[in-house]
Amino acid sequence: MYDMLYNLINVVFGFNWPTWLISLIGHAAVAAILFAVAPFQMLFLTYYERRAIARMQDRVGPNRVGPEGIFQPIADGVKMFTKEDIVPKAADRWVHLIAPCVVVAPTMFMFAVVPWGPGMVPVDLNVGLLFFFAISSISAVGLMMAGWASNNKFALLGAMRSVAQMVSYEIPAILSLLAIVMITGTLSIVSIIDAQAGLFINSVDLPGVPDWGLGWFIFTPVGFLAFFCFFIAALAEGERTPFDIPEADSEIVAGYMTEYSGMKFGLFYLAQYVLNFLLCGMTAIIFFGGWQGPGVNWLYSQAISPANPEGMWLFNVLAGVLGVFYFLAKTYFFFFVMIWIRGAYPRLRVDQLMDFGWKFLIPLTLVNMLSAAIWVGLTRWGAAEGLAFIEGWSAGVRWGVAFALTLIINLATYIMMARIYAASQAARSRLELEELRDLAAMSR
Amino acid sequence: MNILIQVIFGLLSALIVGAAMMAVTVRNIIHAALWLIACFFGVGALYLLLEAEFIAVVQVLIYVGAVSILILFAIMLTRQIEGARHLVTGWRLWVTIAICVALFATVLVPTLLSHNWNVPPPVIAEGSDLPAEPLAGAAELGRDFVFVYLLHFQVTGVLLTMALIGAIVIAFEERARRRRVLTLAEEHALREQKKNRGTEEQENR
Repeated sequence: MYDMLYNLINVVFGFNWPTWLISLIGHAAVAAILFAVAPFQMLFLTYYERRAIARMQDRVGPNRVGPEGIFQPIADGVKMFTKEDIVPKAADRWVHLIAPCVVVAPTMFMFAVVPWGPGMVPVDLNVGLLFFFAISSISAVGLMMAGWASNNKFALLGAMRSVAQMVSYEIPAILSLLAIVMITGTLSIVSIIDAQAGLFINSVDLPGVPDWGLGWFIFTPVGFLAFFCFFIAALAEGERTPFDIPEADSEIVAGYMTEYSGMKFGLFYLAQYVLNFLLCGMTAIIFFGGWQGPGVNWLYSQAISPANPEGMWLFNVLAGVLGVFYFLAKTYFFFFVMIWIRGAYPRLRVDQLMDFGWKFLIPLTLVNMLSAAIWVGLTRWGAAEGLAFIEGWSAGVRWGVAFALTLIINLATYIMMARIYAASQAARSRLELEELRDLAAMSR
Repeated sequence: MNILIQVIFGLLSALIVGAAMMAVTVRNIIHAALWLIACFFGVGALYLLLEAEFIAVVQVLIYVGAVSILILFAIMLTRQIEGARHLVTGWRLWVTIAICVALFATVLVPTLLSHNWNVPPPVIAEGSDLPAEPLAGAAELGRDFVFVYLLHFQVTGVLLTMALIGAIVIAFEERARRRRVLTLAEEHALREQKKNRGTEEQENR
């Protein structure tokens, strides 16, 4: 972007603007594009969710505004804008006003490190993955502010619930990603995508695998378990249905949003859908290769890039379009899975939520990290790191042994953990029933 | 590029100093906590300006994402702590100020005296993009933690483990002492049972 603007302004027009101004314009342009993209994603996703959930519930869904109801989200937006903005009399005016902004701003920030296609990333931060999750944790502050400033018991309860949920499910989410970070050895999101070339087997693990852009981490036992844990944690972070306790409308009205109306409510709504989009996108990027897919790498190798300055610009466009198509297709698929889960499962109780996060997901992700270490040791290390006995094995054998070993460890752990967890839950509900019976007997 | 960085630096330091001042002068304790969060965030942005990306991200993750939430939780779960009653006056005020300044100085002075100022920025060769490793990259920090500062690292680890175990011990309650909170439906059922028994006994008489 910077080079392009520099050429355009200083070389073509000959204005000789200072370099800092050009880089400022470049960053502002990228930011403006992203700020336009985010609300459109949200508009599309609300329509998508309403149609999909309607089909699952044997209804039609919005179908009046425009062809097949496609303009329904725009009508909703107009409704939001024209609604009266009500602030409770006892509310803390300023905090009440700032809270929606504090919730929305981080979700926009997170777009800064999301790669859309080959070479299409706003900022390739070398700690991009950590940045993504650090920024997402800011919105918890905004939720707290909203809950407290409304001066409403339901709002405060909802804020407490949502913050407790976000803080405890951040741990399994980050731990499961740490396994992938151990395998790739980088925190940069772009490098993590680059490491997923190949065909079912990663081309980093087994050089010489044909590159169809299908060397996704989901095809390894470590990646599969990490995906399983991460997606569940993402459902909780995005407050999707089995974990929508913070805004359980049958218990606490609407949680922290109870006292908000008009566009302020709309901002909370926007933040939630954008966050869900980003979490689905992150799932697609880290476990399903992001823009990787058949053909993208070949197209990009013909295009203008830092590695190949004499490419054809046409291939840039083609690789970009194909890459963005793959990325969005995967992301929308995961959003569909979220809707599907919403259509299929009831809401958890608060104690079940905490039990599941702390006693099931976290041990599972810790064991997965051990498997990741074994994977790295068996596929990358040699005599220099103290593993002389695998020096003689070929890359294929190393990959096979690592696959089998991690598969056995992960599967055994999963089965064991699931059994222990089910037994403990059953014991707990039995105890609770007994307690209740004792209580009834006592009052007799 | 330099002017832009100077301007951003000025804005950020104004934000940090202003937010810190507000945090200690504002009466409402929740507002003070919120200003403190703004101050933390500004410091994180300052690290980012220094190209210490990892430290910046960790600052946001730990201070804005975790510590501030803890502070907010603690304030919101305790009642009636706002107000000016706790204001210290007279000679005590001066003693407090002296102690605070002394504590702050013990942290700051050795750093200021022993620090090597005016470090030249890394020279970027013509044609190449950036230096291979950023000044405070995640990889360098990690390597230093397991080679140079191994003892410090392990002591911190033991300390955190102790804190974790302590938290579990405090929060642990025995099953026998736990009182289950009844749901509305269960309470209603119990009351109905009592009422029925009462009427039965009356009928028996």
